Amino acid sequence: MYTSLPLRAVFATSALVLLLMLSGCDLMELSDDPDPNEPSLEDILQDPTPAKLANLAVGIEAGMRTDINLYLTNVSMIGREAYRFSASDPRFTADLLGRGSSVLDNNTFYITRPWAERYRVVRNAEIMLETIDNAGGTLFSDAQRAGFEGYAETIIAYQLLLNANLTFENGIRIDVSANDVGPVVGYDEALQNIASRLDAAFGRLQAAGDAFEFPLSEGFEGFDTPAGFAAFNRAIAARVAVYQGNYARALTLLEDSFVDDDAPLAQGIYHVFSTAPGDIVNPWFFPPQQSGNLLAAHPSYVGDIARDADGEIVDSRFDKVVEREDAFAADGLSSNWGFFVYKTQVDPIPVTRNAELLLIRAEANIWEGNFSDAVDDLNVIRNAAGLADYDGEETQEALIDEMLEQRRYELYGEGHRWIDVRRYDRLDTLPLDRDGDTVWERFPIPASENL
Amino acid sequence: MKHRHHACWTLIWLGVLLFVGMPLTGWAQTTVEGTVTDAEDGSPLPGVNVTVQNTQIGTLTDPDGTFTINVPADRNTLVFSFVGFQRTTVTLEEGQTSVEVSLEPDVVGLDEVVVTGLASSIARENLANSVETISSDDLAGRTNSQTLDGALSGKVAGAEISSYSGAPGGGMSVKLRGVSTINGNSQPLYIIDGVVVNNSAIPSNVNAVTQAAAGGSRSNQDNPVNRIADLNPQDIESIEILKGPSAAAIYGGRAANGVVIINTKSGASDATRVDFSQTLGATTIRKKLGTRQFTAETAEAAFGSEGRTLFLEAQNEGRFIDYEDELFGNTGLLSTTSLSISGGNEDTRFFLSGLLQNDDGIVERTGYDKRSVRLNLDHDLSDRIQLSGTVNYVNANTRRGLTGNDNSGTTFGVALTATPNFIDIRPDEDGNYPDHPFNASNPLQTRDLFTNQEVVNRTITSAQVEYTAFNTEQQSLRIIGQAGADFFSLESEALFPETLQFERTSPEPGTSILGETTSINTNVRLLGVHSYTLSDSDVTFTTQAGVTGVRIDQMTSNFVARGLIPGQQNLDQATSLSPSQVREVQNDRSFFAQEEVNIANQVIATVGVRGDRSTLNGDVDRFYLYPKASAALNIHNFAFWSADAVNQFKLRAAFGQTGNIAGFGTKFTSFEAVSVGGVAGTLINPQRGSADVEPERQTEIEAGIDLGLWDNRANLALTVYRKEITDQLLQREVPASTGFRLETFNGGTLLNRGVEATLALVPVERDRFSWNSRTSFWANDAEVTSLPVPAFRALGGGFGATLGEIRIEEGQSPTQIVGIDDRNGDGTSDGVFQLGDVAPDFQMSFTNDFTFYENLTLSVLAHWKKGGDNLNLSELLFDLSQTSPDFDEDSNNSGVPDGAERVGNVGVSAAQFVQDASYFRIREIGLFYDLPTGLLDRTFNGSLRSVRIGASARNWFTITPYKSYDPEVNNFGTQPVSNGVEVTPFPQSKELFFHLRVGL
Repeated sequence: MYTSLPLRAVFATSALVLLLMLSGCDLMELSDDPDPNEPSLEDILQDPTPAKLANLAVGIEAGMRTDINLYLTNVSMIGREAYRFSASDPRFTADLLGRGSSVLDNNTFYITRPWAERYRVVRNAEIMLETIDNAGGTLFSDAQRAGFEGYAETIIAYQLLLNANLTFENGIRIDVSANDVGPVVGYDEALQNIASRLDAAFGRLQAAGDAFEFPLSEGFEGFDTPAGFAAFNRAIAARVAVYQGNYARALTLLEDSFVDDDAPLAQGIYHVFSTAPGDIVNPWFFPPQQSGNLLAAHPSYVGDIARDADGEIVDSRFDKVVEREDAFAADGLSSNWGFFVYKTQVDPIPVTRNAELLLIRAEANIWEGNFSDAVDDLNVIRNAAGLADYDGEETQEALIDEMLEQRRYELYGEGHRWIDVRRYDRLDTLPLDRDGDTVWERFPIPASENL
Repeated sequence: MKHRHHACWTLIWLGVLLFVGMPLTGWAQTTVEGTVTDAEDGSPLPGVNVTVQNTQIGTLTDPDGTFTINVPADRNTLVFSFVGFQRTTVTLEEGQTSVEVSLEPDVVGLDEVVVTGLASSIARENLANSVETISSDDLAGRTNSQTLDGALSGKVAGAEISSYSGAPGGGMSVKLRGVSTINGNSQPLYIIDGVVVNNSAIPSNVNAVTQAAAGGSRSNQDNPVNRIADLNPQDIESIEILKGPSAAAIYGGRAANGVVIINTKSGASDATRVDFSQTLGATTIRKKLGTRQFTAETAEAAFGSEGRTLFLEAQNEGRFIDYEDELFGNTGLLSTTSLSISGGNEDTRFFLSGLLQNDDGIVERTGYDKRSVRLNLDHDLSDRIQLSGTVNYVNANTRRGLTGNDNSGTTFGVALTATPNFIDIRPDEDGNYPDHPFNASNPLQTRDLFTNQEVVNRTITSAQVEYTAFNTEQQSLRIIGQAGADFFSLESEALFPETLQFERTSPEPGTSILGETTSINTNVRLLGVHSYTLSDSDVTFTTQAGVTGVRIDQMTSNFVARGLIPGQQNLDQATSLSPSQVREVQNDRSFFAQEEVNIANQVIATVGVRGDRSTLNGDVDRFYLYPKASAALNIHNFAFWSADAVNQFKLRAAFGQTGNIAGFGTKFTSFEAVSVGGVAGTLINPQRGSADVEPERQTEIEAGIDLGLWDNRANLALTVYRKEITDQLLQREVPASTGFRLETFNGGTLLNRGVEATLALVPVERDRFSWNSRTSFWANDAEVTSLPVPAFRALGGGFGATLGEIRIEEGQSPTQIVGIDDRNGDGTSDGVFQLGDVAPDFQMSFTNDFTFYENLTLSVLAHWKKGGDNLNLSELLFDLSQTSPDFDEDSNNSGVPDGAERVGNVGVSAAQFVQDASYFRIREIGLFYDLPTGLLDRTFNGSLRSVRIGASARNWFTITPYKSYDPEVNNFGTQPVSNGVEVTPFPQSKELFFHLRVGL
């Protein structure tokens, strides 16, 4: 007994350890479970289904709205359309208006966030394209595939355009389909790439049959079929064409768009918002009487608005601002006008609409020398605002002034004016509110791009 | 899968059965009987451990202090050990069969037993690490503490334990031996009776109203409580703190921040004891800041023409209101009632306790209520099998008010900064609150009408079986099976009725924020401990090996409902609802093995290894190995040692590694759920997953000397350590044009070096007066030695360089504060410079216990933190609203008021926000009187065992140069690196208590 005991103990201990560790027991095994909270990228790439692809498409539309308020803030503040006051962040009124020695920083939210969110939508679209490319043939007909591809490429082009609008001649990256991104290209090359993408997408949309395999919101009402979406594609392409100074092409492109001098000016494509669970409300809506944290109209909007001989305002677009009970002043700026383009927290924000297309057509016609066609379109805009027909000189110079004036008031708060005065080289015409303020031409490329 | 598990367990039990039938004893022997008594009063001591030296033979004394032990023929030395008494050895004369032993109290804790493996313990004398042990008396005997972690403050050398909020219910950050991670989990692993407990801090999402994270920092600023606060400090028998990897390596991948091992009380084989205690106290604000006294001119300058009008109105009526007092001036009543019953017989012992705690805060309608019950049971099924089980239920209700940073003017603190003393925002007789003329909210209205409370229901249970497979003269084998569960549900409810000033002007007035969290941690362990004593020498080998499994499953749902129907709070009464839900599941499997050799208590050496795999790692199948090794050299036990005055002289050194597993979800690239037009969609998550993420690794070497002088009247322990963290979980930005923003990778190195020293003295030990003293000193120096990413702001490290931030930068202290500064005096910023450091230069604590005539004790714990800066942004907010109390002073005689000067400096220099947060604080002071036993016997006929009355105070006295409420503060709660960022916090309080304790 004495002698056998240690041996037996050693045997028993070894046996236990062996049983535990080596018998193939899975007590020590762990299963590599997927993320329990969110669908994984791996899953959609390896196991695509029509429903998952439709989810991606909806995600693309939803994601286009994220931080769109910052894009609009940037364009509207530098374009001296509005002031964004913030009690907790002085950079809106310092950096964006170039106060004193302030500069636009390459690592501050006003450029990093909208830039990243646009590329995030691009990534979502690229994932959709990759999935379709891998497995589309087994899941969809050729026409259905073409619908996905035309949608994805159009949105990619539009998102790239918004970033190019901010960084302008600093450029953007256009090749971002893989994790290793391509080089930054200049503004002209970027616009050319966007134009080509839109054309390719237009081709796919024409081959996409009668319906998409995914839903679009009421913001795309009337444009949620391949044919309707193609008209939207051409509208954006026309915008790009005038940015490029390619006016004849713009007129051609508009023919396939939804431009219509008989249709409501508001007809178009919108970002829509709601208070439904998971949805967002209009991030650029501020109660116009709010203090501290608010959006105020630039006083020049009211100062320059059309008036009659008695000084009474005759332009009905005066309703885009509202007089404040108390003027708001901060950081050497003040305004007694609340910004009131978006009147509730669920008001939609236009992507593009008939009014912009009419103004593009007018602009192209001015440059092509078709002054009376241009005046016709300008008059549609003017009459809608309660103004009489244009009675000024019908010269290119005068008509350009009038066209820019109508763009300023018609597209107020929709993200155009800074870009418009920039492409006509008129940044120096924008009013400066404080000594030492600067009108910026372009944003720096975000620091995260490691340039 | 299930079937296979079943087969596995069958195999294991078969293995266990192999041991059954082995003898417990079986050798030539004599039987020795005896009694063990307390040397101080001669009373019998039950539960004393009696062993035969250099064998595995042992027993415990009975309730009457008696024992019987079989001593082998060739052995003659018995060892007696018991917690709180000095270890005593008795050599038996030839043929001696009975022995009487009296044990001397162990005032310096040298002979206590310390847990070093997962299932083995070692006498402190033989320990090769610096392990802090805190007894129940030290923890909760001196004064009351609302929470367990709060009770540790100032008691652990090498720890930085800091309260981040004065709000009821606690909120503590515990950092052991410096900064141990930059982005990983930063709090110690808490183990209670073998159960790994959840210490997460779950935010309530009041951010939906405060918008605190909308500005310069996106980190959470909801002021959450870390859940270790739920435990009742009075249930605790002892706490052991394994501070660094060299001691904690056996806990492997979860021990990077140290391990806090908590043992709760158990019953003794004795007559049933009933202990009742009632504490009543009061809490008040520790320091008031005051407010600016305006004139009509300054009121106009600060608040415009309306300011002048309101000021003149107030002046006419002689009505100036101290709003700091209105908000923070409440005297909160504190009441703690506890009852414990313990006892048992030879086979079964129990401890039953109950607690009722009702604490109010220094802000009206804030408070903390806790109810807790515990039952601990131990039962000896046979000589071979011991069972024990614990169950603890806690119900806690925390009302923390609304404080800290905001971007909406809604918190009490931010609103106070905009509230001059000449306005009147008090409610009228009908309870109507005037609108605040200069702020989005009326803080008195918010305080009185809103609700922000958390309710926790928590159960922690554990069960253990210890089976002695055999126990011979030379060998013993114990097998221990242990399982435990920690379950809680947390409901947080924040209700902002539509009548509040800021809700009325919102597009959807009336907000309800509802959070629901359920968490369950389960763990199992199976261990074997084999001890083997060589028959011819004093050499003992202790081998232990085992496996453990831990599963953590926590689910949090949060709902923000806006546009509530007036008077309603349910989610379905709202016009809009934003839900969120996050589930975090972690599953770990580990094995470990450890070998310890003890040569005649002269040389004690240990080597061990732990292997950990986790579902949070990129590779779930890989075991990450964490080795350890240590040696202690008891020079005083060698034969040549002859210096009688030095009764202990130990040299020790230890090495160990631990890990820190990546946060949940780090490895996943996923899509977020979005919705537009009522249809759900998926949008790529900008956090790019790191599919191959690995744990961080810490490597520590520590060395030390322990000296005991004059029969342990003086003890000095000195420890130095070097702790290096490699493969850190760092985040790097990826080009945003990829559609992603951030990804996690392993890299970089962080180094901590430190020293800890403790001197324990018994300067006087007489019948009429005794004095015990313990002084600790500790200091830590940290440096980011390698950082493969650009310098970045630490998590919760402030709001950017303009206001000062804590920045992680290669070659610098990780806790450095940097900010813009004007170095050439031209009135503009010259760039970003180092302005300070959050980490203190050193800390000291002083514990002194005085006993007069055996019945009267005075006990004082003082805590000195030297150095360490805070970022005081409260002052900035007061200055911006021009309400700071010293706004009109002109300390530098520049002719410009200090406040205006400070405001002018914003954007030029952040140096003014960096303020010395040193302090000297009387943390705890207690004065207690035990009624003499004779008096009790006469008066109560022996029905009362003891009566103790006393008074105590916590945080009563503080000296600090810091300008705001208190140097202990952090707007961001518990963070890996950052601390001391102050934005209008819930002010810290001080407490005074009266105690009555009765023993039956």
